[in-house]
Amino acid sequence: MKLPLSWLRKFVRIDEPAREIADRLSAAGLVVENIETVVPAFQGVVVAKVIEAGRHPNADRLSLCQVDAGPKGRFSVVCGAPNVHSGMIAALALVGARLAGADKGQHGDSVPRFEDLPPLEAATIRGVRSEGMLCSERELKLSTDHAGILELPPDAPIGVDLAEFLLLPDTVLDVEITPNRGDCLSIVGLAREVAAIFRLKLHVPRPRPPRSKPEADKLPRFSVEIAAPDLCPRYAALAMTDVKIGPSPIRLRRRLELCGMRALNNVVDATNYVMLETGQPLHAFDLEKIESGKVIVRRADGNGEFTTLDNLKRELQPDDLLIADQSKPLAIAGVMGGLNSEVSDSTSTILLESAYFEPDAIARTSRRLQLQSEASYRFARGIDRAGQVTALARVAELVGAFAGARPVGELTDVEARPAAARQIILDLGAMESLTGAAVAPAETRRRLKAIGAQVASAGRGSLKVIPPSWRGDLNEAADLAEEVARLSGLHEIPSDLPARVAARASVNPTRVFLRNTREVMLGAGLNEVRTLAFTAPADNERFPGVATGSRPVKVQNPLSVELSELRLSLLPGLTTALRFNLNRQAPSFHAFEVGKVFMTRDGSPGESMVLCGLSYGPYLMPDIGRKAIDGGFFSMKGILESWFDAMNVSGRVTYDAARAGEVPFLHPGRAASIGFEGSPIGYLGELHPQEAMRLELDGPCAVVELDLNKLISYGFAPRETIEIPPRYPAVRRDVALVLERELPAQAVIRAVTETASPLLESVEVFDVYEGPGVASGKKSVALACRYRSKDRTLTDEEVNRVHSALVEHARTRLGAELRQ
Amino acid sequence: MKEQLEEIRRRAIAELGDGAGADAVEAVRVRVLGRSGELTEIMRGMRDVAPAERPLMGKLINEIKREIEARIEELQTRLRIEELERSLASASLDVTLPGMKIPRGRMHPVTRIMEEMLDILCGMGFEVEYTQDVEDDFHNFAALNFPPNHPARDMQDTFFLPGGMLLRTHTSNGQIRVLERRRPPLAVVCPGGCYRRDDLSVRAAPAFNQIEGFMIDHRGRVTMSHLKGVLSAFAREFFGETRVRFRGSFFPFTEPSAELDIYCLLCSGAGCPVCKYSGWTEVLGCGMIHPNVLRAVKLDPGEYQGFAFGMGVERTALMKLGIDDLRLFYENDLRFLAQFPSVSGGV
Repeated sequence: MKLPLSWLRKFVRIDEPAREIADRLSAAGLVVENIETVVPAFQGVVVAKVIEAGRHPNADRLSLCQVDAGPKGRFSVVCGAPNVHSGMIAALALVGARLAGADKGQHGDSVPRFEDLPPLEAATIRGVRSEGMLCSERELKLSTDHAGILELPPDAPIGVDLAEFLLLPDTVLDVEITPNRGDCLSIVGLAREVAAIFRLKLHVPRPRPPRSKPEADKLPRFSVEIAAPDLCPRYAALAMTDVKIGPSPIRLRRRLELCGMRALNNVVDATNYVMLETGQPLHAFDLEKIESGKVIVRRADGNGEFTTLDNLKRELQPDDLLIADQSKPLAIAGVMGGLNSEVSDSTSTILLESAYFEPDAIARTSRRLQLQSEASYRFARGIDRAGQVTALARVAELVGAFAGARPVGELTDVEARPAAARQIILDLGAMESLTGAAVAPAETRRRLKAIGAQVASAGRGSLKVIPPSWRGDLNEAADLAEEVARLSGLHEIPSDLPARVAARASVNPTRVFLRNTREVMLGAGLNEVRTLAFTAPADNERFPGVATGSRPVKVQNPLSVELSELRLSLLPGLTTALRFNLNRQAPSFHAFEVGKVFMTRDGSPGESMVLCGLSYGPYLMPDIGRKAIDGGFFSMKGILESWFDAMNVSGRVTYDAARAGEVPFLHPGRAASIGFEGSPIGYLGELHPQEAMRLELDGPCAVVELDLNKLISYGFAPRETIEIPPRYPAVRRDVALVLERELPAQAVIRAVTETASPLLESVEVFDVYEGPGVASGKKSVALACRYRSKDRTLTDEEVNRVHSALVEHARTRLGAELRQ
Repeated sequence: MKEQLEEIRRRAIAELGDGAGADAVEAVRVRVLGRSGELTEIMRGMRDVAPAERPLMGKLINEIKREIEARIEELQTRLRIEELERSLASASLDVTLPGMKIPRGRMHPVTRIMEEMLDILCGMGFEVEYTQDVEDDFHNFAALNFPPNHPARDMQDTFFLPGGMLLRTHTSNGQIRVLERRRPPLAVVCPGGCYRRDDLSVRAAPAFNQIEGFMIDHRGRVTMSHLKGVLSAFAREFFGETRVRFRGSFFPFTEPSAELDIYCLLCSGAGCPVCKYSGWTEVLGCGMIHPNVLRAVKLDPGEYQGFAFGMGVERTALMKLGIDDLRLFYENDLRFLAQFPSVSGGV
C-alpha cells in the first residue's frame, strides 16, 4: 500500500520525519519497504486565471490571453491550446520558469537538475509578445497529456505556486500489508495506526448522507435483493443522475497515481479514490444497462461465461457470487465489473455499489480466475464490516462535485445478515503471563481505544473489549495482547531465559546417523552436494532409483516441464553437478548426496531418504611419477565397505551381480545389487557406456544409491560385547584354487568356510589371476587362510591337518584344482 | 705358540687401523676368526699343548679373539655410519614437490550452517525431530490456522501433488506432527526441506531448508520474554556479538507474531541494498503459538502456551557467508565447495 504523507496528514497531524514514521510503522508490524520522494518537475509555475482569451491578431490557431496571476501580476500570453477559454484556471509558467517536460525528453525519466534546464524567456510569437506560457500536463510532467493545457479546479487559489497547490514535494511510503490487516489497505487505516503509535488524534470527517428532492416519478428507480446472504451480508447502493463523464481534477488524479492507480474518468476515479481513502471497494454501474433496475446478489448457480471489464471471457462456477439483474450477470461480485454495464462516456445515470462480500468467497473466485483486482485484494483480506454507507456517502460527494451528478432518491442499504456481536474478555494477568511484559492497565486501555476498540472494565483485572468493525482479525485475548505489544514495537517485553533451557536435550538417532554417514563419506574423499528435488520426466525414466518399478510423483502445478516431477533418484542431480564441474575444467568429480526421493506408493505420494554417490576421474593421486587410481567400481565399493564397517553391519550386507536389465543404466558387467539382511536396498556399479557417452565422459563413472531407512534404524550402534584380543600367534597358509571364471569370490569364500575348523580365523582373497598357466575359461583365486587358537600356540602338524581338510573340501565342493 | 698368537694379534690390529675399509675388515675377520681361520686352527692345535699350559693358552686365545672382535665391531659400526651418511647425501628429495593427495570431501555449506544452528539450539535444550516433506493440507495449513482460501496462503505459493497432498511450504508442519505424538513440556527443532513456487534465482529457490523450533509448557512458564531471550542468545551465538531487534509481524500460527532483525552484516548498519538502506536484516519469524494451533492438536490454550520460530537456512547462510547469490548453493561448483571446511569444527 502506497502512503503519500500529504494524504496521511489529512487525517493525522504528524510532523515527524518520514524515516521515523517508517521505522515506527515497521516496528509495529507494518513494514515500510521503501521511502520515495516525489519532487515537482517544474519551477516557477503558478496558478493563474485566464481573464480573456482572444484571437491572436496574426494567427488563426493561436489565442492571445490576458492572464491574472494574483500577486505575481497580469500577463499577456500567447497560447496554442484548443481548450483555452476565458475564466479558466490554468498553470502559468512565468518568465524564468524551468520545465522538465518542455525539454524534449533528453533527461528521460530521471529527476531533472533545474540548473541544467534553460529558463523560460519572454518571446515574440507572430509579432505579439508573450510573457510566459500556459502549460500542458506533459510540459509539467504530470502526465503524457498534451492535447490541451492543464485545467485547474475553479477554487484553486490564484497566484499560488503550482507545486504547493499540488502538494509537492511529497513523500510516499510503500507499506507492506500482512494478510490479516485488510483495514490498513487504506489511507485512513494507516492514519489510525500512525495516530495510535505516535499518540496523536485521528480526524476522519464523516460525509453527510446524500439528500435529494423527492421529485419526479420519471427518474430511474432501482431495487436490491440479496439472494445469497451467506456470501453478501450487506449491500448499499445509490443512484445518481446528470452525470457528466470527464476527467477528474488534477489533484485527485495525482493522488491515484501516487498510489499506483491509473486515472480513467471522474466517476471511476471517485470510486477508486474513496477505496484508497477508506478501504471500501466501490463499483459504478450504468443504471440504464440494468434491466428494470433490479439488482440481485446471487450465486452463479450454473456454469457459464461472463465478459469482464477487461474484455476477457471468464468461466463461472456455481459458487461464484454475482451481481445480476433479472436476465444477466452484471459483475463478478467483489472481483470485477462486467463489460455490459460499464460506465461509458455517454453514461448519464449511474448506480453506485458499496457492499460487504465474505472474504473467503471472493478469495476463492479471484484465485480460481487468477484475477486479482484492487477490490478483490481488499475483500479477500476483509474490509470494514460496517463501512458501506459511509463510503457510499463519501463517493456520492465526490461524484457530485466532479461529475456534476445528483442523487436520485434515498440511499438503499440492505442488511441481509447483521454482523455477529463480538466481545473479548481480556484478563490483564493472563496477558502479562503470555508476553512477559507488564503494561499499565490505563496504557492498555489507551492502546486498545486508539485502534478503535470500545473498552470497558469487566471486574478486577479484566477488560471487556469490543473490537472495531474493521478489525475482523481480533477475536480472542491473544489477538489483543498482540495489539498492546506491537504498538510499542515490542520494546517493553524484557528478554529472559526460561528454566528449561538448562535441560539436556536427548540426541536424535537419525541426526547422529546422517552426521556419521557424512563424516565417512567426506573422509573417503566424496564432496557433499545438494540438488533440487524437482526433475524432468525423462530423468526419472533414465534413473528410476532404488525402489524398482515405483512410479514418479507428478507436480500438479510445476514451474516448468524440466521440473515437473519429483525425483525418484538423486542421480539426475549428481550427474548434472558432474557435468557442471567438468564443463568448468574440473579434472575429477567425487561426490555424494543424502536426500529425499519421492515415489507413488499405494496411489499416493511418499518419500524416502537415500544416499547417492558418484565417482569419476582420478581418485587416488600418489606422489609424482606414480600412476593415479581412477574412481571406479572397486573404489566406490571400498567406500561403502568402510561405511558399513563403521556402522558395524558389514555381515548383514550382500553384493550380487545385478540381473540382466535390473539396473539398465549401469554397465551390465559392472553392476551389483546390494542387499541388507536379504532384501535389496540399492545398487552399485559403473554407468552404462551409453550413459557415459551421453554425459560426454571418457572413462568409467562409478555410482551407488541406497535406501537409508533400514540402515537408519540400525544406526552406528557400538558393539554389544568387546572381545579380548587373542594372546597366541596366528599361522597363515595360502592356497590358490583354479576355478570356473564365472564363479564369484563371495561363493568361493562361502564354500571354503562352510565346513572349516573353528581354528580358521579368517579367509581373504589376495589375488585373482587369469592368463598363461591357467586354462582358458578358468581363473586362479589365491586365498590367505589364517589359523589361530584361543588357548594355545598351534603346531605345524595341527595347522597342516585342518588346512588340508579345508583345501580338500574346497576342491570337491567347487570342482577346483590346486594351482602349483 | 704364544709367539704365534702374539704375531696374529699384532698383524690383525695393524691391519685393522682406522683407515681400514670394509673389505680389509672382512678379510681380517675371515683370516683370523673364520671357520678355518688362524685362531680356529690354533684352537685345534691345543691338543698338542702341554696340559699345564692349556688354561693359560686358552685364556690368551680368548683374550685375542675378543680384542679383535671388538675392534672389528667398532670398525664395522663406523663404516656403516659412513656408508649411511654417503647414501643420505645422494638420496635427498625435492621437498617442494606436492605430497600424496589424500582424498577428503567438503561438507556442503548449507549442511554446515544447518548443523551449526542445530548444535546451538541443542545446547539450549532443544531436541531434533525430522518430519515429512510430503504433507496434507491439514498439517501444512489448516492446523496452523490458515483457513481455506485465506490470503495468508498466497504468501507461500504451494506445489500441489496428486491425492490432495502437497509439498510442505514450511517446516511448521513439524509443530503439528510432533504435538500429535508428544505432549508438553517440549522444546523441539525440526530441520528440513521446504518448497515454494519460486523460480531459482539470485534471491529465491523452489526448494530450500528451514528450521522450525518451538517450546511449550504450562501457561506462564514459557512467555514472549523467553522467546526474546532464547532467540537473542541464539543470534549472538550464531552471528557473533550483534545488535538484535524484534518487531511486530503476522503469521497465522502465532499471536503475537514478531520478526527478529539483526544489524546488517554486510554494511554493519550503515545501509546498503541488501538491507534496503535500513541497516537491519530480517533473520527469522517467531511468536507465541496461536491458541487455534494448540486446539488443533488437542491442547487446552488455557493450560498450555509456548513460542515458535522458523528460519530459512540458505538465506541465513548467505548473510553469514557474506555472499549474495542463492544459486551458488544449488550449482555444487567444486571451486565454491572447496572453500568450506571438511571437518565438523566451526566455520
